[in-house]
Amino acid sequence: MLGFLLLGLGLELLHGFKVGVYLDVQNETRRLMWTLAHAHGALLGLVHIAFALSLPSLPSLDALGRARISWCLIGATVLLPGGFFAGGLRVYGGDPGLGIVLAPIGGTSLLIAVFLAARASGSAETPRGTGGRRD
Amino acid sequence: MTARRGPRPEPPSGPARETSADGLRPHLPILLLLCASGALGLTAVLSFAPAVPESQITNRPIEVDADGYVSSEACQACHPAEYESWHGSFHRTMTQVATPDTVRADFDAVRVEDTHGEPMVLSRQGDEFWAEFNDPGWEGAADARPRIKRQVVMITGSHHQNIYWYATGHDRGLNILPAAYLLSEQQWVPRSAVVLHPPGQSLAMLDGHWNAICIACHTTQGKTAFDTPYRSEPFGSQTIDTTVAEFGIGCESCHGPGQAHVEANRNPLRRYGFHLDQPQDGERTGDPTIVLPTRLDPQRSSQVCGQCHSVWEFYDQADERIANAAGLPYRPGDELRDTRFVAQPTVDRTSPAMTAFIETDPDFVRGSFWPDGMIRVSGREYNGLLDSPCFSQATHPDRTLSCFSCHEMHKPGEDTRSVADWADTHQVSTDAQGDQACLQCHEPMADQVTAHTRHGADSTGSRCYNCHMPYTSYGLLKTIRSHTVSSPSATESVTLGRPNACNLCHLDKTVAWTADRLDDWYGTPAPALDDDDRRVAAGPLWLLRGDAGLRAITAQAMGWSPAQGTSGTSWMTPYLAEALGDPYEAVRFIAARSLRSLPGYATLSYDFVAPEAERTDIAVRLMQAWRADPRSRQRREPELLVDRDGLPRIDTMRRLFDQRDRRGLFLRE
Repeated sequence: MLGFLLLGLGLELLHGFKVGVYLDVQNETRRLMWTLAHAHGALLGLVHIAFALSLPSLPSLDALGRARISWCLIGATVLLPGGFFAGGLRVYGGDPGLGIVLAPIGGTSLLIAVFLAARASGSAETPRGTGGRRD
Repeated sequence: MTARRGPRPEPPSGPARETSADGLRPHLPILLLLCASGALGLTAVLSFAPAVPESQITNRPIEVDADGYVSSEACQACHPAEYESWHGSFHRTMTQVATPDTVRADFDAVRVEDTHGEPMVLSRQGDEFWAEFNDPGWEGAADARPRIKRQVVMITGSHHQNIYWYATGHDRGLNILPAAYLLSEQQWVPRSAVVLHPPGQSLAMLDGHWNAICIACHTTQGKTAFDTPYRSEPFGSQTIDTTVAEFGIGCESCHGPGQAHVEANRNPLRRYGFHLDQPQDGERTGDPTIVLPTRLDPQRSSQVCGQCHSVWEFYDQADERIANAAGLPYRPGDELRDTRFVAQPTVDRTSPAMTAFIETDPDFVRGSFWPDGMIRVSGREYNGLLDSPCFSQATHPDRTLSCFSCHEMHKPGEDTRSVADWADTHQVSTDAQGDQACLQCHEPMADQVTAHTRHGADSTGSRCYNCHMPYTSYGLLKTIRSHTVSSPSATESVTLGRPNACNLCHLDKTVAWTADRLDDWYGTPAPALDDDDRRVAAGPLWLLRGDAGLRAITAQAMGWSPAQGTSGTSWMTPYLAEALGDPYEAVRFIAARSLRSLPGYATLSYDFVAPEAERTDIAVRLMQAWRADPRSRQRREPELLVDRDGLPRIDTMRRLFDQRDRRGLFLRE
C-alpha cells in the first residue's frame, strides 16, 4: 500500500511539473493506465487491511483458507495495478502496452479472493441465521 | 373516475411513535443528502434540452453514416493525439452548424448596411440566429427583389472569415447570407467586399449554391442529391436531399471511409499484431483497411490534398450526376485525374477539355491563373505543386516534393507549439519553417548560402522561401506564398504582370534594377523594359499601373516587415493612401491594413466599406499630414516619384494612374 501511495505522490509530481510524457494528449493512455495503477493499488491495500480486520468474524476460516485468500489478494495487488502500470510504460495510441495482460489475471485473482472470503463469511453466519447451532 | 380517499388514520402515539423518530434521526443526514442529490438530478434532467436528432432536421443538409463512413468521432478512442490536433485544425471547422458555440459574429440586433441596396438586420431568438435581408437568390428584376427573413443554419470558414448560410425554406437548400464576418476585425461587411471582383459586378448568390458547389470541398463525403441537375429547372421545383458524412474536413476525407477499419480493429489481437510489427527493413506494413497518405508515393499523397486544393471540374455532366447521387468517387490513394479534370494551363491550355471549359466560362483560366498558367489564388496549392520542378521533374520518391514535405496534418508530440499555433501557421512542420524545407534535398546549398543568394546569411533575402515561393497568390483578403517553386525574373513582371520576388522586398527599386542584378548574378536574360520599368520603383509602379490583383499584392507587400525593413516606409504613405480610394474593396482593405503597420498609423480609423466621400476625406487628410511631416522628405530618389524637395510628382503619378490596367478581374479563390 505504501508503494502505491508513493506512486500517487509521483503522479502528483508529474502533474506539478507538467511532465509531457504523462500529461501530453498523445500520452493520454499512459496517464489513464498509471492513474488506474495508483487507484487500484491503494484500494487493494485497503482491502488487505479490511480482510485482516474481518478475520475475527470468520472463525470458520482455517489457516489454509486464510492463506489462500491472502495469496490471492497479494496476487491481485501485484498484478492488477502492476499490469496497469506496465501497460502505461509503452503505449500505442489508444492501446496500452503488453503489460496490460497482467491486469485481468490480477482481476481474476481478486475475484477468487472475494469469492473465498464471501463463502467463508456465509458459512460463519449460517449457524446464527438458521439457529442451527443449539446447545 | 377518481378514487376518493378516506379519512387519514391518526398517527400512532406514545412510545411507538418516539421509537420510530428516534430510529430515523441517525439516518437524517443521509436522507437529506439523498433528497438533495435527487433534487439536483431532477433539476438537471428538467433543464436539459435534448438536441433534435439530426435525422429530424429538414431545413439544412444533415450528417448521416453511410457508404462506410463513420465520422471522426469513431477515431478518437484509438488515435487520441491525432484526433486532438485534427480537432484544433481549421479543417474540422471548415463547415459547422450554426449554434451558440460556433457562431462568432454578433447577431444581437446588428444592421449591416448596403447589402443589395438595403441593410441586413440580424437577430437572435434563443439559440437560433436569424437575418432579414433582400433575397440574394432572387433572379427577377432587381427592383422587385423581395425582403425575406430566414434562419442562419450553417457557417463556412473559421480562420479569417465566417461565411453564413441560411435555410432557403425549400428542402435542404441553402444560400449565402449577403454579408460576411471578418474574424480579426470583428466586422460585418457585405459579402461582395471580401472577394476581389470588379466593382459594380454583382456576385452570384444562388439558392442551393452550398448544396451544389461548396459541399464538395467543405464537407466529408457530401451528396448534393438534387433530383435533376442544379439549375436545370427552377430551384423551387427541385427536390434536394443533401447529406454529408461529416461537416468540415474529417479524418475520412484523407484516410478514406473508416468503417472496415473500425470493425476490423475491434479485435485486440489484430491491433497488437500491428503494434508489434517490426519488419527488418524498418518499413511497417500498415493496416490495409485504411489509407495513410504519408505512406503513399509523393504523387498520390499530394493528390489527397489536391482533391480540394486544386482547380478542378467534372469531365462531363454524367460524372456530376454520379457525384450528385453517390458523392465524389475519388478516394485517398486513387489517381485523382481518373475521376475529375484538374486544370493545369501550363500544359493543357489547348486540350479539348480545357477548350470546352473556356468556351462556357471565358474567365475559367484568368480568374485563377497568371497568364503563364501559374496558379494565382489561394486554396489551390496542388496546382502550384504540379508545376514545381521539385515535383514534376523529380526522379526518386525520396527526393520528390509533396505537400507533406512541408505540411503535417497532425501535430507531432515533439512539436512544442500549441495546437492553436500549429493550426494558425498552416500546419507547416517546425522543420519546414525555414530553409530546412528546401535543404532536405538541396543539401549543398547549406554551405553556400551567401554565394548563392548574394545576400547576407541572416538576411531575409537569403531565405529560400522569399525568393522561390514569393507572395504572389491571393485569397481571403491577403496574399499567400506561391506554391509553384520558381526562380525570380524581371520577365515575369514585364510580360505577365506578376510581381517578381526581388521587387516584392525591394519595392523602392525599379524592375530594371532587378533585371540587371539577376543578369549579373545568375545570367538571367533581361527582358525589354519600357521607360517606366527603368525609372519608376516597382512598388509605386505596380500600385498605380497594375491590375487589381497586382495592386492587392503590392499593397500587402508594403505591410510585410521584411519589405519594410529593406525598402523603408517613409515613402509608402501616399501610395497606400491612394489605394484607400481603390475601386476594389479588397485592395482598399489590404492598403488600410498595411498603412496601419507603418510607424505612426497604427490607430488609423478607416472603414473600407464606408461611403466613398468618407474614404476620400480620410485619404486626403492622410496626405496632408504626410506632407506636413518632415520625415516624409527622408527619401528623395526620383524612382519613388518625388522631386528634389521630397514632394510627390503628381503629374507622373497621374500619368501612371491613367495607364492603369482597368480590365475587370475576379479572382476565384
